[in-house]
Amino acid sequence: MTVLTMNQQARRLSGAARIFSHPKVAIGGAMVLLFVLVAVFAPWLAPNDPNAQDLLATLLPPAWADGGMVQYPLGTDSLGRCVLSRLIYGSRIALIVAVVAATGTMLLGTTLAILAGYLRGGFDRATSFVVVLWMAFPPVVFSMMLMVGLGTGVRNVILAVVLVDWTRFYRVVRAEVIVARQREYVQAARLLGFSHLRIMLREVLPGVAPLIITLFSLQMGVAIIVEAILSFVGLSVPSNVVAWGVMLADGRDQIYQAGWNLLAPVCGIVFAVLAFNLLSDGLRVVLDPRLRRKGGE
Amino acid sequence: MPAVLEFKDVSVSVRVAGTDVALLRNVSFDVGKGRILGLVGESGAGKSMVGRVVSGLLPENLRFSGGHVYFQGSELTGRKARSWLGRRIAFIPQEPLSALNPVLTVRQQMAEHMKHIGLPRRQWEAYCIERLAEVGLPDPEDILGRYAHQLSGGQCQRVLIAMAFSGDPELIVADEPTTALDVVIQAQIVRLLRQVQRKHGTAVILITHDLSMAAHVCDEVAVLYAGDVVERGPARKVLEAPWHPYSWSLKMATPSLSGPQYVLPALADLMPGLNQIAELPGCRFARRCPTRNAECENRVPVLERVGDAHFVACGGQCRADSASRKTELHVLPSIGNPHGRPLLELRDVGMTYRGQGRRKGQHFHALKPLSLSVGQGELLGVVGESGSGKSTLARLMVGLMAPTAGTVHVDGVARSGASSREAAKMRETVQMVFQDPDSALNPRRTVERLVAQALELRPDLGASERGRIAERLIDQVGMAADALQRFPSQLSGGQKQRVNIARALCVAPRLLVADEIVSGLDVSVQALIMNLLLQLNRELGIAVVLISHDLSVVRYLCQRVLVMRHGEVVEQGPTDEVFGSPKHPYTRLLLDSVPSDDAGAVWPPPERSEGGVAAVGRTVLEFQS
Repeated sequence: MTVLTMNQQARRLSGAARIFSHPKVAIGGAMVLLFVLVAVFAPWLAPNDPNAQDLLATLLPPAWADGGMVQYPLGTDSLGRCVLSRLIYGSRIALIVAVVAATGTMLLGTTLAILAGYLRGGFDRATSFVVVLWMAFPPVVFSMMLMVGLGTGVRNVILAVVLVDWTRFYRVVRAEVIVARQREYVQAARLLGFSHLRIMLREVLPGVAPLIITLFSLQMGVAIIVEAILSFVGLSVPSNVVAWGVMLADGRDQIYQAGWNLLAPVCGIVFAVLAFNLLSDGLRVVLDPRLRRKGGE
Repeated sequence: MPAVLEFKDVSVSVRVAGTDVALLRNVSFDVGKGRILGLVGESGAGKSMVGRVVSGLLPENLRFSGGHVYFQGSELTGRKARSWLGRRIAFIPQEPLSALNPVLTVRQQMAEHMKHIGLPRRQWEAYCIERLAEVGLPDPEDILGRYAHQLSGGQCQRVLIAMAFSGDPELIVADEPTTALDVVIQAQIVRLLRQVQRKHGTAVILITHDLSMAAHVCDEVAVLYAGDVVERGPARKVLEAPWHPYSWSLKMATPSLSGPQYVLPALADLMPGLNQIAELPGCRFARRCPTRNAECENRVPVLERVGDAHFVACGGQCRADSASRKTELHVLPSIGNPHGRPLLELRDVGMTYRGQGRRKGQHFHALKPLSLSVGQGELLGVVGESGSGKSTLARLMVGLMAPTAGTVHVDGVARSGASSREAAKMRETVQMVFQDPDSALNPRRTVERLVAQALELRPDLGASERGRIAERLIDQVGMAADALQRFPSQLSGGQKQRVNIARALCVAPRLLVADEIVSGLDVSVQALIMNLLLQLNRELGIAVVLISHDLSVVRYLCQRVLVMRHGEVVEQGPTDEVFGSPKHPYTRLLLDSVPSDDAGAVWPPPERSEGGVAAVGRTVLEFQS
């Protein structure tokens, strides 16, 4: 028995090693890890309080440029706040929104997709119609409308992302569920007396799990962008919370005098979204059994 | 006159873990003008590799490592072969439906080909029509305007044959051209291929797994095993009296449609895969060979002449003639009579689909009302072509579908209106073994979790108890316990089918409904699975409803048989009676379409009116799509 469990562990380990041996997964994964570490350890990493104003040192250039100060490595904005610290703290909002919104989107979209794809019939027709209608709204306008209705705040940003983007999960996962339910192993499970719920969870869900993981990773990138857009137009977080979109909005006025104010949050967004997209693209390849070589374990 | 194509000691190898492994080892044969050569072997024998060499399209990791290929007397290089494809060398593919582009009409696809051949544009249409008429397609103008999905499998294959012959090639390679087709259509296609081939005097290489078919169609056959030609000779001779133990077991593993029945002698083990081939320096068949001697494993056998143009590569005692081997066969013991009240009873059960949308008001009878009962421990066969309603019948029997008419009784209780406890009991009584093991086994479960799947509903059983049961089940289907921790993707086709059966056995059913469970398997594996079913029937008294398009399989296993066509039973009765003296013309047609294993018989049978059969088969396909 011990030999057996050891074997299983060995297989699981080699499975993880196989997944991370793919360059996109490795690079994307490392970038995501860096992003998460920065967000979690922001208070220790940031050189200054992100909201502290030093009105004597506004619009300072980065430390290496003429007139820069070592105290503010990436310079300061128009209110004399440290750009690097704001960049670091801004990653926290981005991470929270990315993780929570993507999870919510996944749960809502996947649950409805599995129910609709597995049960078909009236439920499927009804939800699919709602989805078609839903997708007819332009997503940015739709989320802004929602924000106006719901009021500002991180929680509402997350809600808006979930309500706008669940359809993406629904469409993709439902198609895959329909394929999976035609498989004979699903019918075999029915013949063995499995309940519908059990079949959905034990037979169908594991088959679509790789797809869900891939979409989840992609959705995190999307959530970061949506949050940035909403905070850019001032509909997201209150002014005492640092977000990349807020930094963009603040830096927009001084774009010609102090371009680095704008460049810093742009780099942050690009880095985070690229990390999630790379990871998602790599996972798509390594988790797809059709693209995996036979017996490649 | 030189042969059209000659292989002289051709070897193709691949590098595996630093060593060269020969996928084809010193393969020699030739095909003359107007001759047909059959390449026979099971999957993994290297048959298709020959086609790759001829077309000059070897996969990148393979290397042509020795020997010569001559085409019309001059050496054939990959470059030359590729430039002659379609003009001097043509191919007929295995899957007719997927070989045609689904978004182009037949006309567009043939036009492409006409351009390739270099025919002036204004002659295209007339030429295509002429060629399509030649392959027996009625109304060629109409066919030209159709898409692949609007044609039946047989029609697609006819179009592809017409295309292959349209360049007047000197050589045609047909790779399993009839494997995907029904038996009646197979006979038609083979007959057609031979007609057209004779008319044009084309040399043909026919790649097939069916020794009987090759023997009837070809002039010469070469039997391949793991990249070696083990026997080569006049087609009928090889079928009549195979010398090599592998050819012999290929012949014997196929159940016969006439004469006395023997327990199919099944070879142990499997055709060696890529990794095992490297460890077989001598005769690659030696480990499975019943007549091997000490030297076999180390000495590479060479083809030696044993008769008129008949060669065998064997270093052992294959020279013992096949007659003496026959004595090793055991006569199939007769099966006991079913007893007691019927286990499963269908009373006027029918299945009708109502058309939707455009087809509103049209009804499609997948199964016309029929009554039928299966006794305890009975082996019942259901035969018919695709679209005959066999699979619908299977689904109705196990309860995956509810009939639109009539009632199904299990052990005397009607299924409709059964209480949930009764329904659970019915599920345990009647189980199904699915057709395609790739689709029937969840790829994310291990073998252990697959076979013991039903026990997940019994929380009172602990993991160790489940493991023990899984071990017993896997032993029951003849597999070793070390397979329990593997995933389906790590199993061979035959092993998957065993796991498939083991899962159904888990709830201790009294009736197994087996839908085409041996159709995708090699004959030697098929023999093992059929013997397993027989053993389950003998030892556990499990009744089996075997659904198959293969009449010889049904004759081997079943006492009683149902012949179905267009959702209707056209004939039923004891197997010997139905197959021995068929009353219905359709049964006779089916029987005649199976290639006989008697080398003296005439096959394919002379043409008869079968238009009706094909036409109705098509309406079924159209409806389903």
